[in-house]
Amino acid sequence: MALDVVKKESSFQAWVEHPASHIVHHDARCCEEARMWFLGYARSMQISALSRYELRAPTWLSQLFTWGPSAWPIAWCELVKMKTLDCGVFAALAREAFTAQGFEAHPAQALLSFNPTCTTHWKGLWKKPPKNPLPEPLKDQKKEKTHATFPWIGNEVVYHELCVLEMEGNQAKFYDSTWGNWFTPDQETGFGALLALRTECPRLLHWGDKIFSYGEWIDL
Amino acid sequence: MKKKIYITGMHSGQNPSSGLGIARCLRRAFPDVTLVGVDHTHGSSGLHDSIINEELLLPQWSQIQDDEHAAFIRARLEEGHLWIAALDMEVYWLSKHFGTHPHLLAPNKEALEFTAKPAVKILENWPVSSSAAGEFAEFQVPDYISANLPDAEIHSFLRTHCWQCWLKSPYHDALRISSWSVFERARAYLKSNWKTSNLFLQRNVIGNEETISFAAHQGQLLGAVHLEKLQLTPEGKTWAGRVKPLDESMSQNLGQMVQQLGWTGGGELEFVRDPDGRKWIIECNPRFPAWIYGSALMGANLPGKLISHLWKLPLLEAIKPSATFTRVVYEIPTKDAVGLPRPKDPSTFTWATDGKHGKGGPSFSALLPNLEEQSTSEVVPLLPLPPANLAAEISSIALFFSEETPSRISLPLWTQQIFETLHQKVQTYCATGKPRIQIGYSVKTSPTDHHLQAAKNCGFYAECITQKEVQRALNFGFAPHQIILNGPGKFWPLTDNPITGVQLLFCDSLEEFSRVLKAKEQPKTLGLRIQLPQIHSRFGNTLSNYQDFEGLLSALQDLKRIKRQPGLAFHFHMPSWSIGLKRWIEALESFLYWCKGLEQLCDLPVHTIDLGGGYFPEDLEKLNLAALGERVHSQLPQVKTLYLEPGRSLTQESEILFTRILDIRKNKNTKANSSEARAESDTEVIKEIVVDACIAELPLAQAFPHRIFFQEAGRVPSEVARVPLGVAHVPQRKTFALAQPGKARILGRICMEDDILGQNISIPPDVQIGDLVIFGDAGGYERSMSYGFGRG
Repeated sequence: MALDVVKKESSFQAWVEHPASHIVHHDARCCEEARMWFLGYARSMQISALSRYELRAPTWLSQLFTWGPSAWPIAWCELVKMKTLDCGVFAALAREAFTAQGFEAHPAQALLSFNPTCTTHWKGLWKKPPKNPLPEPLKDQKKEKTHATFPWIGNEVVYHELCVLEMEGNQAKFYDSTWGNWFTPDQETGFGALLALRTECPRLLHWGDKIFSYGEWIDL
Repeated sequence: MKKKIYITGMHSGQNPSSGLGIARCLRRAFPDVTLVGVDHTHGSSGLHDSIINEELLLPQWSQIQDDEHAAFIRARLEEGHLWIAALDMEVYWLSKHFGTHPHLLAPNKEALEFTAKPAVKILENWPVSSSAAGEFAEFQVPDYISANLPDAEIHSFLRTHCWQCWLKSPYHDALRISSWSVFERARAYLKSNWKTSNLFLQRNVIGNEETISFAAHQGQLLGAVHLEKLQLTPEGKTWAGRVKPLDESMSQNLGQMVQQLGWTGGGELEFVRDPDGRKWIIECNPRFPAWIYGSALMGANLPGKLISHLWKLPLLEAIKPSATFTRVVYEIPTKDAVGLPRPKDPSTFTWATDGKHGKGGPSFSALLPNLEEQSTSEVVPLLPLPPANLAAEISSIALFFSEETPSRISLPLWTQQIFETLHQKVQTYCATGKPRIQIGYSVKTSPTDHHLQAAKNCGFYAECITQKEVQRALNFGFAPHQIILNGPGKFWPLTDNPITGVQLLFCDSLEEFSRVLKAKEQPKTLGLRIQLPQIHSRFGNTLSNYQDFEGLLSALQDLKRIKRQPGLAFHFHMPSWSIGLKRWIEALESFLYWCKGLEQLCDLPVHTIDLGGGYFPEDLEKLNLAALGERVHSQLPQVKTLYLEPGRSLTQESEILFTRILDIRKNKNTKANSSEARAESDTEVIKEIVVDACIAELPLAQAFPHRIFFQEAGRVPSEVARVPLGVAHVPQRKTFALAQPGKARILGRICMEDDILGQNISIPPDVQIGDLVIFGDAGGYERSMSYGFGRG
């Protein structure tokens, strides 16, 4: 990383080596039903009077779930009953929604700049146990992983998960599935500025004047 | 003498004009230049800004003498001063009353014609970039129509665009239209506020707003920037944005456009970039935008470039590569020389901050000149005649009508034609199409004998929503296997032995489903009505959370366990006329997706799909049955029957309501100014009539436009023989006439403020008390929802 501020962060190595999050499928009816419900819901939320648009970002995800700590690993049959999910689950769900629309969607990770006051609050939020109500059969299984959250919060930098779409001409579109925004290649500064990005797209992607190859962190 | 720059449009409120932004740009570029702020209202806040050297407060536009004002401006320009017009309507006023001048920085009349909204004709010649990556390849104009068209066409346009449109005036202001009543209110407001009839409706485009602002002098492009709006106010005004330089191809195209138009002054192309990246032009404004100082802060001072070019003043700047700005609100001391307007007495205000009259600041329309006379003369197209057979049947009945009024009369021939047309359409489809389509006539819409008979004759089933309706259908001769039972109150009135052994029964809740499974008699096919997420409805089984979905899966498992298992069906019902046909199709796709998923998860084939009714008559005609069948078959190949349940579309046109005129109210042209108009001022124009019907007989009078006919009473010439029913012959008599668009309205007989049965129509000048007014489209819900009122 070119930015000194990123390297100073104690979790720096963990961030850059962390693979993108994926949702577990139990290969059983429980997850099959849950995934079917999610995809049906996603299909309904695409209903628009302006149906000519091909690309419909799942901005409704943030109305369906609240952003906050959620334990990993997480399965389909668990997440559909939860109220609070972290950015990794948001990103994975957004990929499902985009893929169902026929787009090539891949995981993406980002390092973002925030001030220490902000990150202190998030650290406090993440210390609290997840608010998610757990169904009885899952409670015992979950005991061991309720605090298994990834240390995504640094002092002035945070780790975040996104979704990248592979568009025509190998152009990339980065979608922040947690907050429902598209990132643009224009240089950003200040609160929430993008410092670095990585994708898991198996092909080269172009974004502004940057080129992304699979798994490579790119300074911005 | 030191030259000055006069800048108009100085108000800086929640909907700011551009004047203050232009002044700030010029002060930034040329600290010593003399800036004169001009406005026509005392409350113009920008005049108080310290960057303005002089303030020129003129009378309100309504008090301005056009020749006097034009001479005043000309005198300033002849002295070498510059005049920058920052208001659209002022630019139009200048083009009409002033013309051009080398020191007047505003586009000329021709440029205004070619950039007028909604068409923005100049963009038709916009070169298409050959580069796929070209940022601005082309612009498209969102669909639009004149708001002067007959109401039936406007209603159709709004339905087509799913009630997501804007009603716009030709200069300023745009109001969201989401229903017919909203449209009627908005049309009246805009006509009154902007004193123009030249309104138009344009479909909404979802996307991000962007604009191109530019400065030009006599066709030479001096500079341009591209703005992405990042934050908007609730009024849709820019609050923050990112300023970028224009790309090369866009810059070339803009340069050509400016050259073609001989543009002088500032300008702005506003567009929306949709999620697929296409650019939809919203409008081309003939002045700098109000956010223009944000651009100057980022190194692109367009007003500065204009003045630098004209006065040969040096201006050095460099645009930052990607620069953002935001607006803030802050307070400044007022200038004694300007002062503030005294607030009006508040005792008659509706709200304490009434913007037009009170302390909320001047309303935008009050700041602008009145261009009423400049508006192109209003051309109101004639309402197209209804289908010949329908007109013939109405006129033949009207000629000899002598009953008491109000009176609802059936059109048996037209009814037969509508039912048979649909029957034939279905038969044609069923010859080759899969799945089979079966029509279920919606009994609630109009349970009259002649409608039930027409349905029965065509082989339609009866769709009932109560036990009483089931009984009515059975008594009329429908067999149990020809009955569909639906709705939340299907077991009303409560009995120990409700009828459940019908062809098709849809449950509105899982609780009801559970009870039906225990009933003595099972329907041949049992189903659930589905309430789709995103489509707001009070009916059916919701799928909006996972727990509900699990409940539905569990209920379907219960169905599998019963001995004589009925076939499985799902029902989706959302009136296409209220959500729009496009959105209805989208919802259908989503519904089929759910059905397919449920079928797979439960391992229970879906035999039947019911798509409900709620089609507007002309929408049902447009419905492509083959495409509909193919959609269902491709997702659910095991579906054998697809049910449609039209009611309104079959019956709405099949009855008419006869009324008589009780009162005729006229207007004198008292505001006539011209000698010609004064000469005509004795002509009385009918502004409204009162008829003996009311909203009790026509409860949906304000929900959609009705065709209205006039028939003189008691003037049937003896030589006109009664026209046999069914003969396609419209008597060529002036006494029977279809009401055309106009400015009058028809009031109902009761003392209720909302008892208005017709608006924006013209009333024949020779109507008399007792003449007949016939409301078409008075069948369907107009009949079944009518009620007794005001009859003593």
